[in-house]
Amino acid sequence: MASRPLHFIWLLDCSGSMGINGKITQLNYAIREAIPEMRKAADDNPGAELLVRALTFSAGAAWHLAEPTPVHDFTWDDVHTHSTTDLGAALRMVSEVLKTPPMPGRALRPVLALVSDGLPTDDWRSGLRAVDATPWGKRAVRVAIGIGEDSDRAMLKEFLANPEQEPLRVNNPKQLVAAIRWASTVAVATASTPTVGGDHQLAKPLDRAPTVTTGPAGGDDDVW
Amino acid sequence: MTAGPGGFRLLAQGVTGHGKAHGQDSHAAFHGPGGAVVLAVADGHGAARHFRSDLGSRWATEEFAVCARHFLARAHGDAAGGRGQQAAGAPAGLPVLRELARDLPRRLVHGWRQRVARHEASSPAHGRGGQPPAFDVYGSTVLGAVLTPELLVCWQLGDGDVTLVWEDGPPHAPLYAGQDLGDETESLCQPEAWPRVRVHWQPLTGGGPPPAVLLSTDGLSKSFADRDGFLSFARGVRDRAAAEGTDRVQDQLADWLGHAAAHSGDDTTLVGAIPVPGRATGHEHDRSDEGNGA
Repeated sequence: MASRPLHFIWLLDCSGSMGINGKITQLNYAIREAIPEMRKAADDNPGAELLVRALTFSAGAAWHLAEPTPVHDFTWDDVHTHSTTDLGAALRMVSEVLKTPPMPGRALRPVLALVSDGLPTDDWRSGLRAVDATPWGKRAVRVAIGIGEDSDRAMLKEFLANPEQEPLRVNNPKQLVAAIRWASTVAVATASTPTVGGDHQLAKPLDRAPTVTTGPAGGDDDVW
Repeated sequence: MTAGPGGFRLLAQGVTGHGKAHGQDSHAAFHGPGGAVVLAVADGHGAARHFRSDLGSRWATEEFAVCARHFLARAHGDAAGGRGQQAAGAPAGLPVLRELARDLPRRLVHGWRQRVARHEASSPAHGRGGQPPAFDVYGSTVLGAVLTPELLVCWQLGDGDVTLVWEDGPPHAPLYAGQDLGDETESLCQPEAWPRVRVHWQPLTGGGPPPAVLLSTDGLSKSFADRDGFLSFARGVRDRAAAEGTDRVQDQLADWLGHAAAHSGDDTTLVGAIPVPGRATGHEHDRSDEGNGA
């Protein structure tokens, strides 16, 4: 007997704009802060063997953490910013691992968690089509976090591929930490619960609403 | 239809998934006339939007029991056909039973939706009267089987497993639809659910004992690393029941299913009918007559 793997994949925008106002620093901090929460979510879902990967995109895309890593072994090495926002390259790259094989047939729905602060600079729609063309891509639980006012909300919503679901917009570091924590835990729980529908149905919306506050930033937080 | 030389002993057990406050599985297993048995399991979806799926799964097995009784009554020519309907006075032949088997999903889904609608009328899930019934809230799968010494019919809507273990040869899952990706499943709460029900019809004309029939919710099969492991488990249940007795297997079933639930994380339920060659109908000593459990 064995628990079923649940693949969690971060898709992280590391374009130059993420270096402004310390966004990339806060992103690294938020993911590091979320690790205990992810481990707790995994412990709360004994039927899931939570495996984490991370892929970054700027000028092209690259695996930051290529090996599916058990969450209890997962540590975070900081990501850094570069030039452009080649989301399409990242989506095409992730589509390769959503095919079966290498993904096993016996698995829970994977989680794709996209974090971006700007407009894609390449043909991201073809990348999204590549993801949707894979059996696991179209079933994936998708989460999208837009950082700041310049994030491409329409793109993020298209990535979610579900009219009932909205991308999260975060406007300060506190909200980013909360959003990353939410994405890390609720998405895991959602991927572990059944969906009703046939093969042609896209992923259902997340069960629980995000806990990210939308009010003005408080305290000493910078506003993005 | 006659009682035949054999009989069936029943197994039934359900365990709640780890970390769950309460289970959403239900089951039923009972003897019918003429040495027949009826088996059913249902798996409420359990996600937040299906917050009454424990009720949905319970009603699924109860409605299946009603439909199965009607089926068996027609098979034996009894007057009591379930739901107060008058059945024919003579045993129905296989062609008639086959039509009844095809019609059962429609009756089952109709009965289940009526139960939901009645409950919604008095206690709306979303707190607003006058709205259409919130069928999604009660979403559940359902698997059922009617087994006699001469006939086996199985029905399945959604995930879970019907496994036949013959005396010889590998176990067979006649309604297995292939490897699921993720946890998508068909449900009683879907519109036009009844055409989605898969049916296995098998007259048992070979002369040997009928197969052991095991019905289980997906929490069991998904706890195994591969399909072969699950089928080996089914073979083991049947073989141990034959060698050590169903009472002994029944006593251990909770431990086995609990071990499986620790891996799948899901509620895990199994009911089964084990043929006992040479016995009458096997009513005695069965501790697993009709019931629902989580």
